[in-house]
Amino acid sequence: MKRLILLCACVLIPSQALTWSYPVGSTDIGVNGYLEGLGVYALDNDTAKEDPSALLSLTAKADFATWGAFKLTLKGDYDGKIHDPSHDRVFAPIEKVYRDNTPALTLDEAYLDLFTGKADLRIGLQKFAWGRLDEFNPTDNLNTEDMTDPVLREESERKQGALAVKADIYTDIINCELAWIPRYLPYRLPMPDERWFPPVLKVPDAIETNSVFGSVPVTATYADIDLPAFTLDNSEAGVRLSRSIAGCELSVSYFNGYDNMPVIAVPTELVVELTDPAALKTSIQGNLTAKPQLKRMQVYGLDFSTTLGGFTIRGEGAYFKDKYYVRTAESIYPEIITTKLQQELMEEFLNTFYATGQTRQSFHLDPAVAIKKDALKYGLGIDYVRGDATISAQIIEERVLDYDDDKPIYFIKGGYDTMLSLAYKQFFLQNTLELNLGGAYDYTFHHYLFQPSAVYGFTDAIRATLGVVIIAGKDPNSLLGQFRDNDEVFVKLRYSF
Amino acid sequence: MKKRLLFGVLGMFTAVSLWPSPGVCAEALSAYQIVKKSEALMDQAKDSKNEMLMTLIDKRGNKRERKLLSYAKNYPDGSKKALIIFEAPADVKGTSFLVWSNEKKDDQQWLYLPALQRVRQVTSSSKGDSFMGSEFSFYDMGTRNLDKNTYKLLKEEAVDGQACYVIESIPNEAEFYGKVVTWIRKENFVPAKMQFYDTKGAFLKEGTMTKIISIKGINTPTHIEMKNAQNGRATILDLSNIQYDSGLSDDIFTQRYMQRGR
Repeated sequence: MKRLILLCACVLIPSQALTWSYPVGSTDIGVNGYLEGLGVYALDNDTAKEDPSALLSLTAKADFATWGAFKLTLKGDYDGKIHDPSHDRVFAPIEKVYRDNTPALTLDEAYLDLFTGKADLRIGLQKFAWGRLDEFNPTDNLNTEDMTDPVLREESERKQGALAVKADIYTDIINCELAWIPRYLPYRLPMPDERWFPPVLKVPDAIETNSVFGSVPVTATYADIDLPAFTLDNSEAGVRLSRSIAGCELSVSYFNGYDNMPVIAVPTELVVELTDPAALKTSIQGNLTAKPQLKRMQVYGLDFSTTLGGFTIRGEGAYFKDKYYVRTAESIYPEIITTKLQQELMEEFLNTFYATGQTRQSFHLDPAVAIKKDALKYGLGIDYVRGDATISAQIIEERVLDYDDDKPIYFIKGGYDTMLSLAYKQFFLQNTLELNLGGAYDYTFHHYLFQPSAVYGFTDAIRATLGVVIIAGKDPNSLLGQFRDNDEVFVKLRYSF
Repeated sequence: MKKRLLFGVLGMFTAVSLWPSPGVCAEALSAYQIVKKSEALMDQAKDSKNEMLMTLIDKRGNKRERKLLSYAKNYPDGSKKALIIFEAPADVKGTSFLVWSNEKKDDQQWLYLPALQRVRQVTSSSKGDSFMGSEFSFYDMGTRNLDKNTYKLLKEEAVDGQACYVIESIPNEAEFYGKVVTWIRKENFVPAKMQFYDTKGAFLKEGTMTKIISIKGINTPTHIEMKNAQNGRATILDLSNIQYDSGLSDDIFTQRYMQRGR
């Protein structure tokens, strides 16, 4: 509670907005940012709790005459979701998937812009914005995401900067965006004991083998990612061509690089121990290591937007070649730990036991948790603005080609997942009060997310948000269903300067 | 005849006095001709640039400020382009709004949100909607078709000691307003006051245009107040650093410029 009061005080003490801007010769230097406090009250006692958090975002920008600019955004984070924080470094280890440093600083963006007549060049840590849909952009694969709070953090906050070189070339016929990412930086996952760690990646307490092994107790280790060597072959690249045709804005794109969604390998050590030599009675223990893997893929994309009467229509689709999907845990081990394998293991165990007298032996298994598929992701959105109200609706579908029902994968049923989303925003009191009704319905799994919130601006600089997150779904293997116990009430207080 | 106004607050309220002294010929002018002349004078500049301080005042007198940069350009084919960039408050700094208007087509509009770094094509279903939570509507700020109204010269009356024509404008088909009464200064044809009535005939709001300065011979009101009688709120626009015919580049009115912010 003291932390919450302290955070509130930090946010409220400044009484008016301050934006610093200094002209130095032909260079304009400006500093702005925000300080935000977040408090979350978990509505389900069985889920991990979250202490109050604070986030300070500072952006400094220098505009050099007409030829260039430099931008740097630094974030300081006190993350209340982390239960057992490390304090070994000031800057968050952005080369790691699991980051438990808090408080920590993160370089969000840092790049140099060079402007010429028909082309712009951007070099450094930067964010791309491909595609036209809200929150779901199949064509936008150049940046990775911070997944430590997929619901309350806005898209711009979740997106992590990519170390990249970007060139924008403008012609009368077409605009061309070229991107090259020489060094991949991974996505961020919550720590396994954090509130938003994906349950589908959680190793169970026991593996049901459906064999004579029965239920095998397991221990879990969550290893971090091994980054690829810093070579040209391991770099990523993309190109996007855009033009406007009769009021319709159209883009085609291609990306060749790493999947920005988690793909996990689970190398497993089965430890067989002879507990009763006389009766040759054994016990089995599984030691699993969940380790993020990097998989390359290619993405061919298309997106558009246009207006129709009072409506804005947006669409986006992509063909994913060689994308890896994670299979459901319950489908993997029964397939691998068969009666035949059990017999072979026991034969080998006994042979070694008779030869060496070893009563404890380990056997290594490396189940094919991830399977390679081609896939399509596409969606259509429509926006309507009337007075102080805005409504946006989207339908999004993912289709896995050559889907095998015997090898089910997370978030997909029968090769499909179809999601409907709706966002309604209404302003009141000269835009000082904002009511939001956001939600998503997973048509395939019949699960839903409902997130109403109210935002009130006490001043132009200080605003507070009060909201609730409700997630309902029975199937733990769906995108929403896995978080069905994560209902919460939240309050945010932001001071912008 | 379709008459388009300069987008931005310069639009409806910026009259330009390049016409011969109205005192010479005004007696012969009909209500329609007076409005037409006032409107025509607004589009004299090929381009304009200004800074704008928008003060929103609620019915309790609490004030909030918005700072904007506004660019507008007229093209020989009658089309117009306008860009508004938000400078303050801090949480919307860098947000920009681009409009391409053409008499023969629907307006094209784009919104750039710096947090998302994405330019988004947008459309507003009603020009009667409030502009940025102010007491100005998109209709006030944008396009008006003179031929869609019937005009009547009601009387002549002084506003702040300045003689004005008082002209009633009734739309042939009621859209956003049932009636608008405009006080147009006889001296320079710059509007001094406008009263807006809703479609039910009730008094809605009143706008006043003062602090007129001459820039390149163009008389420009730099202080514009709009008071809403129905909700008790008001909006004040203060224009500064106004530049006409500075030769604004076409590159300003592009998505590329929105993303770069300059």
